[in-house]
This record gives sequence, C-alpha cells and structure tokens, in this order.
Amino acid sequence: MAPVLPPESGIVWLYHQFLFLYPAEFRNEYRRELCLAFKDEWQEKHSRIGRLFVWLRAIFGILYHAPKEHWHMIVHDFRYAFRILRKDWSFTLAAIAILALGIGATTLVFSLANGLLLRPLPYPESSRIVSVQEDSPVEPNEDGHINFLNYLDIRPRVTLLEDIGLYGGGGGLIRGEGPAEQVQSTLVTDGVFSVLRVAPLLGRTFTPAENMPNGPKVVILGEGLWRRRYGSDPKILGKVLDIDDSRWTVIGVMPANFYFPDRSQLWLPLQADPRTSFRTDYFLRAIGRLKPGVSINQASAELESLLEQIHRENPAANNGWIALVAPIREHMVGTYRKGLITLLVAVGLLLLIACANVSNLLLVKASARGREIAVRTALGATRRRIVRQLLSESAILGVAGALLGILLAKLGVPALLALVPTALPQWMNFSLDQRVLGFATGIALLAICVFGMVPAWGVSKTDLTSVLKEAGRGGSSSMRQRLLRNGLVIGEVALSVILLAAAGLMIRSFAALRLQNLGFNPENILTLSVDYPQSRYPDGPASRAMVDRLRQEVSAIPGVASAAFSSGVPLDDGWGRIFTIEGRPVALKEMRAINHIVVTPGYFQTLGIPILQGRDFTAPDFDAPHVVLVGESFAKRYWPGETALGKRIRFGPPANDEPWNTVVGVVADYKHGTLRGPDRSNVYLPYQKDVTPSSLLIRTARDPMQLAQTVKSRISGFDRDIAVGPALTLDQIIDRVSWQDRFLTVLIASFAFIALALAAVGLYAIISYTVALGTHEIGIRVALGASASNVRTLILRQGLALSGTGLLIGIGAAFVLARLLRAQLYETSPLDPATYVTVPIVLILVTVLAVFLPTRRATRVDPVIALRHD
Amino acid sequence: MRPFILSRDTFHILVALADSDRHGYSIMQEIAQRTGGEVRLSPSTLYSAIKRLLEQGFIEELAERPDPAHDDERRRYYRLTKAGRRAAVQEAAHLEKLLSDARATGLVRKRV
Repeated sequence: MAPVLPPESGIVWLYHQFLFLYPAEFRNEYRRELCLAFKDEWQEKHSRIGRLFVWLRAIFGILYHAPKEHWHMIVHDFRYAFRILRKDWSFTLAAIAILALGIGATTLVFSLANGLLLRPLPYPESSRIVSVQEDSPVEPNEDGHINFLNYLDIRPRVTLLEDIGLYGGGGGLIRGEGPAEQVQSTLVTDGVFSVLRVAPLLGRTFTPAENMPNGPKVVILGEGLWRRRYGSDPKILGKVLDIDDSRWTVIGVMPANFYFPDRSQLWLPLQADPRTSFRTDYFLRAIGRLKPGVSINQASAELESLLEQIHRENPAANNGWIALVAPIREHMVGTYRKGLITLLVAVGLLLLIACANVSNLLLVKASARGREIAVRTALGATRRRIVRQLLSESAILGVAGALLGILLAKLGVPALLALVPTALPQWMNFSLDQRVLGFATGIALLAICVFGMVPAWGVSKTDLTSVLKEAGRGGSSSMRQRLLRNGLVIGEVALSVILLAAAGLMIRSFAALRLQNLGFNPENILTLSVDYPQSRYPDGPASRAMVDRLRQEVSAIPGVASAAFSSGVPLDDGWGRIFTIEGRPVALKEMRAINHIVVTPGYFQTLGIPILQGRDFTAPDFDAPHVVLVGESFAKRYWPGETALGKRIRFGPPANDEPWNTVVGVVADYKHGTLRGPDRSNVYLPYQKDVTPSSLLIRTARDPMQLAQTVKSRISGFDRDIAVGPALTLDQIIDRVSWQDRFLTVLIASFAFIALALAAVGLYAIISYTVALGTHEIGIRVALGASASNVRTLILRQGLALSGTGLLIGIGAAFVLARLLRAQLYETSPLDPATYVTVPIVLILVTVLAVFLPTRRATRVDPVIALRHD
Repeated sequence: MRPFILSRDTFHILVALADSDRHGYSIMQEIAQRTGGEVRLSPSTLYSAIKRLLEQGFIEELAERPDPAHDDERRRYYRLTKAGRRAAVQEAAHLEKLLSDARATGLVRKRV
C-alpha cells in the first residue's frame, strides 16, 4: 500500500520547517528558491511512490547539507577572525597575555586546592577515615591528640567505627650497612593498617600481640627506603636491622605511595605500657574508619559519651576534655584550608579583572570598528552574524590564553613550591591532573563568555546611520558603549582596589609577625638536633656527662660564643605540662599548661635572655633537685605584687603527686612555643634526668652556617654513633614556621600587582581611545585658545573620575571583604588605617601615570590637522 | 596536476549552465534529463553547490530576466562566468585525458 502523503501546500510548509536546520543566513538567502524547487519536483511527480522519493531525497539533502553549511560558516568566521586578529597583532598578543595571566593564576591556585582538598587520599574509601581526638575545652589546642589509656578503653567499646589505630612520632635512626641515617619513622598499632586498608607489598603488618609492652621487636619498611638502602632486597623479610640502638626484625614492606602519616618510611609497633602511662599525657594521635552509613556526628556523639563514661570510671583523671571525630583530611589539611580559600577568592578577583580588561580592549576595538560593522550590516550581515563574528574572535583569544595559561600554571607549580621551606607531606600532589585541566577549560569557557559577550552586546546594536555619518573619524561611541566601557574600567579599578587592600593587610600582618619582638635575638644562632645511642648513655649521670662534654667540645670551637642544650627549639616546641601552684589547688579540669623547657647551663646566655630576678641555674642545681626559673608574665600572673622567688610549683595532675619545685629566678619573656598567636608561659627546669635535651643551640660570632660542618664533625669526632640532624639557623626556623604567611603574602601581593597593572592598562586604553575620538573637539578647544595645561587637566579629570569611582566602590567592598582575611592576619586589624590610606595613594599615582601618555598626545594636537579630520 | 577539483555535482551544474542561463529547478531538470535520470540533485545539494560556485566566482546571479516569456519573477537565474567556463573546460579536458589514458591501457574500449 502506498503511503498517505499530506496535500501539496502542507508538504511545502513541512519542508520549509526542515529548512530551520540551516544557518539563518543561508536560510534567508535560499529559502524561497529551495521551496520552489522542491514544489516543482513534487508537482512533476504524480505517483505516490515518486513523490515519496522526492520527499525523502529532499529531507536527506537537508540533513546532509545543513550541518555542512554550519561548519562552512564557522570556518569562515574563524578565518575572518584570524585575519582581523593578525592585522592588529599587538592588541591580540596583549589580550592573550592578559587572559593567560588570569587563567594561569587561577589554574595554579586551583591545582593547590585540588592537591589539598579534592584529590582523594591514597587509601581505599578514604572518605570514611576519620581522626579520633580529644581536646581541652579550656585551652583548645587543636593538636588532635588522644590519651593512650583512653584509647585502650575506647577501642573495645566503640560500635560505630570499624577499628581505631594509634600512632605517634618515633626515632628512626638506622645504623649498620652504610652510614647511620635518620629516617622518618612512626610508631603505630595494628589498627592503623586495618583502618587505612593498605596491604603490604611484602610480608605482613603488625598483629595485636606485637603492640603489647615488651612485644617482639618487628619493623615494617617503606618501599622507598627498602629500594634505596637495601637495593630492593627480595630477602629483606626476617632481616635484623639496628634501629634506635636495638635490633628489629623486618616483617613487611609497604607499597610505594604509602607514607602515613605524611613522610614516614619506617613503622615500628607502638608498645606503650599501660602500667606506666598517665591519663593526662597527650602525645599520640588516632585514626578510625566509620562503619558504612555512619555519619561524623553520630561517631562523634558515641566517642563523647564513651569518654564521659571513662571520666566517671576514673574521677581522678577527669580533665574535662571532650572527644570528637573529624574527617581525616580536615585533620591533615589543618591550617592550610583557610589560607587556600583566601587565595581562591583573590585569584577569582584577578580572573575577573583580566576578563574585564580584555572585554574593554575588545569593546574599544569594536567601537573603533564601528564603520566596518555598519558596512557589513548594510551589506546584509545579520546581527547574529556580527555577534558570532565577534565571539569567534573572543574564542580564539580565549583558547590561546587558556593554553598559555595552563602552560604558566604547569611552570608555576614548582616555582610556588620552591617558596615552601619545609618538606610537605607526600600525599600532597599538586600536579595538573584531569580535574585541574577540566577546571582550566571551564574557566576559559566562562572567561570567553564573560569577556566576549559584553562587547558583542555593546556593538551589535550599533546604529547604522549615525555610524556611517561619522565618516572619516574612524570610530563611533554610542552612549551605551561609553557606559559599558566606563563601567568595565570602574569595575576593574574597584576589583584591583580590593586586591590591593588585601595585599596591604597581608604585608602589614607579615611585617608584624616577622618584626615582632621575640624576646631574644635570633641572629647568629645555629640549632642542631642530636640523637645518641641510649645503650651507651643510659638516662642519668651517663647521659648528663655526655651532654656536658658535648657542650664543652662545641663551646671550644673557634667562633662559637656560647652553646647550650634544651628540650625544644624556640618557636617550634609543642611540649607543655599542666601545673599547680603551692597552696592554690585547682581541679584537674581547670588546669592550664606551661611550656616545659628543660635546659643545660648557658641556655639564657646563648639566646640572650636577661635574668630579671633571682639567679640563673648554677652547677649544683643540676644535681640538687627541684628548682625552676619562670618567665616574667608567669610570675606577674600568679604572684602579682609580690616576688615569685621562693614560691613552689609542681607539674602534672594532682593525683600524680609529683615533687614541688622552688622558683629561684625570673627571666624575661620570649616566644618559645609558637611564633603566631598566644603562647603559653615559660617554665625552665635544669636538666637532671628523664628528659634529655636534644636540641643544641649555638650562638656564633659570625655566619652560623659556616660553622655547621665544623660542629658536626666535632660531634662525630666525640662519638661516631651520635647522629646529628640538619643544621638550621633560628632565622631559618622562623622562615619555616611562618612560611604559610609568607606564601600567602607573596601570592596575594603578586595578584594585586598584576591587578593594578591590568587596571592601569584598562585606564590607559580607554583614555587613549577617548583622546583619539576627541581629537576634533580638542582641536576646536585649542583653536579657541585652550592651553596645553587646560587640555591636560580635562583629560586627567576624566581619568581620575573613573578611577575615583572605582576606588570608592573598591574601598567599600574591601571594608566588607577584609573580615574574611581576619584568620590570616597577625596583630593587624582588617580595617588597618595605614592600608586604607596607602591604597588610594598608590591608585591615584598609577592613574596619573596611565593617563599621562594619552595626555601628552592630546596636548600635541595641531588644531589645523585636527579640524581637517572632517 | 589538476588545476581545479570540481565535484561531480558541481561539474554537472556548470555543464547545465554552459548553453543557457537557468534558474535552480531548471538546472535540476537539465541534469536529470542529460543523465537520463541517473543524477538527480536534491534542492539542498543544488543550492549548497550554487552558494559555493557564487563565492568562487564560477557563476553569477543575473540582474535581468533572460526569457520574459517564461519568466517567473520569483526565481533567480544563474549564468556561467568566464572563470566558470574555464574551470569547466579544464575539468572536461582533464576527464578526456583520463579517459584516453584508460583507453591506451586497454582498460576501456576505443570509440568506434
């Protein structure tokens, strides 16, 4: 049966509908012809089969040719765009460079965010891994520690976690088969491996029995260490290694990318003894794995109730601390997150400025091309076509900018990491992966839309007659275009003011951090960590004698002014203890911590810390027990209006009943625990036993690094088995503990500098264009007797009006946004007056500079030539 | 070397316009007739080719109507330009050369 076909007029109408698949231009040009030809063919056939063939051929023809016409058009548009861009290559290069800066900087910061926040951690189902921690509600320290005995009680009782693993820092000094080597090592329980779910490359991980006190001495190596030090020895399992002065049997090798917690290459079983542990000691951390479907909050609530239960069972040890669970990434990313978010916001502003800038350049150019566009419109180009033409140019610029930007980001990552003076955890990987590339592509597309649409929109409504009437002046400027251009420049200025203010605040904060009075003179101080074999120097007189000898050896080196040992390096010492003042008992819950600093003779002299009252430690103090020195603020706080000398304090929870210590001196305060933020008070103890001070501090008469080698060889000459860590000056340590501040400051200041430069380019472009347009007007003014300075003032006023408006908006926005920076600022108010005074001055200077060149051109206008323009 | 690469359809269109100016449907008819119905262009094929030929300058659109008797004012008429004629002639010569090569090798039978 022949198919039923619609009547003739209907079929032509239907055919006509298919023509909408063609580009509008083609359709408008040939629609009538196509319909006529189709109708003729249709009428010529009388059979239904014949007409069916005509219909099918016509429709397939459209389906085949319409996409081709679209493609031809795109190719044509792009060819044309290339020609236009090549003709004005200085503009093209400038636009590409600006976009590359914007896209490159954004991609760069995103790759940091990706490495820190987005890239999955190298453990299966890592989103279920959590840190399990306790914290003091009185003095939150966010250290993420957990007490060992509490952990022992929690592990069997917890129901919402699959398992809990405990870990803490270890020694890791390997001897034998080559030089002694300090390897980053971690003490772990069997739970760590079951929580992380990483199988060993060779052998096995720890068993619960191996975590018992005095359990078997077994060790697990990292793949890197196994390969480097033991040549990937396949028979490594069962081998006995000399680590930290005892013998350990290798039972496993972990795979290549396993560095838990951050750069570890050696795992020893944590074999703490519950009988000698206290419930108030915090130096271990824990991880757990949530059971499927369990939320962080549920797990936190369970942990909290378990801890309360433990406190009820052990009232003497109830310190009132709370337990909580946090995603492991949050714990590991820690302080980086806030800085990173600040950077993302800053770089987002920079990208916007770059887009506005290119937008403006395109708009100025497009306005100058008004005649060309008007002529094309007159010749039949549709508005859509013109817009598409302009968008093709934008797309070429955008793609070129994006490619160059990605290249910049790729080069930028290692350059940025060079600013980081410490070794970052291995899991932080900042390479450009698919996510970063996808992001860069998205940003580029967004940028193309933003900077491409604005000029297209501004130009497409060009009024034909008015443009053509302005023959010979080479450009036109409708009200709408002028508003757009001015708006863009004002926006650019405002955004760069925000960045400038942010940079100003960061610089002020960094200066406050670095120029603060530390309470000691960090210049010419060398620090080294010293690790010695405990079997040879057992705790007590033997290690005391060794430390004394070592100090004398080092002090005798020419160029060394004084030397001392302490239990921690200033500015990077987290060791604190809770304390009680005699006669003023405090509940365990209310107890605060001090910096517990164990020192040898010469400590205060080496750091240059004056003794304010009483005396320094003397030789007998190191034998006769129980004297301490305290910091000034500690003395003032606890014995206001009276002397601290002769008063007694003791450490640890009341239940421990530790001996009382008499204060024999008060020393000036200095920053010991941390460079940033509030520090605990300092209390000093003479080295006797228990805590062997392992940080060697040396004040030198000249560049301390020059002495580093001599000191090291003197120590190994004393005893080859004493391992010496890397030598660092105190200045380097300050660099290390403040690197995040420096990193943020450098980046935000660079962004602000680029932003300012872009805003200046924007101002320059628009003022030049206005001057070029106004040549005629300026000519008339000059002919009527206006002086060069009149003309200069006129133009300068225009520039200042634009940047002044931007400045006001920007300062207003900065006032609001600066609050976001508060967490990054050190002793600097987000409304720091100096910053808000400096920024406008800088901006006005830059405006004058940007406007100066076009002004010079304007004042050179010869009225005769200018008027001949018509 | 081939100076021009004309597609089969394009060549047919140029040939159809060789002896008289025509409008679109007339070109389609002429080609169908000449080839005994073997080559039938759809309107889309025709006008895509016409657009290209106009851009290349091989054909031109007529301002005046060539045949007032059969004039249909809605239709556009096309004429072969000098360049178009040259292109068609070269293409034909090329095809002829190709054919004689084929004959010389005995691939195709010689014309009697």
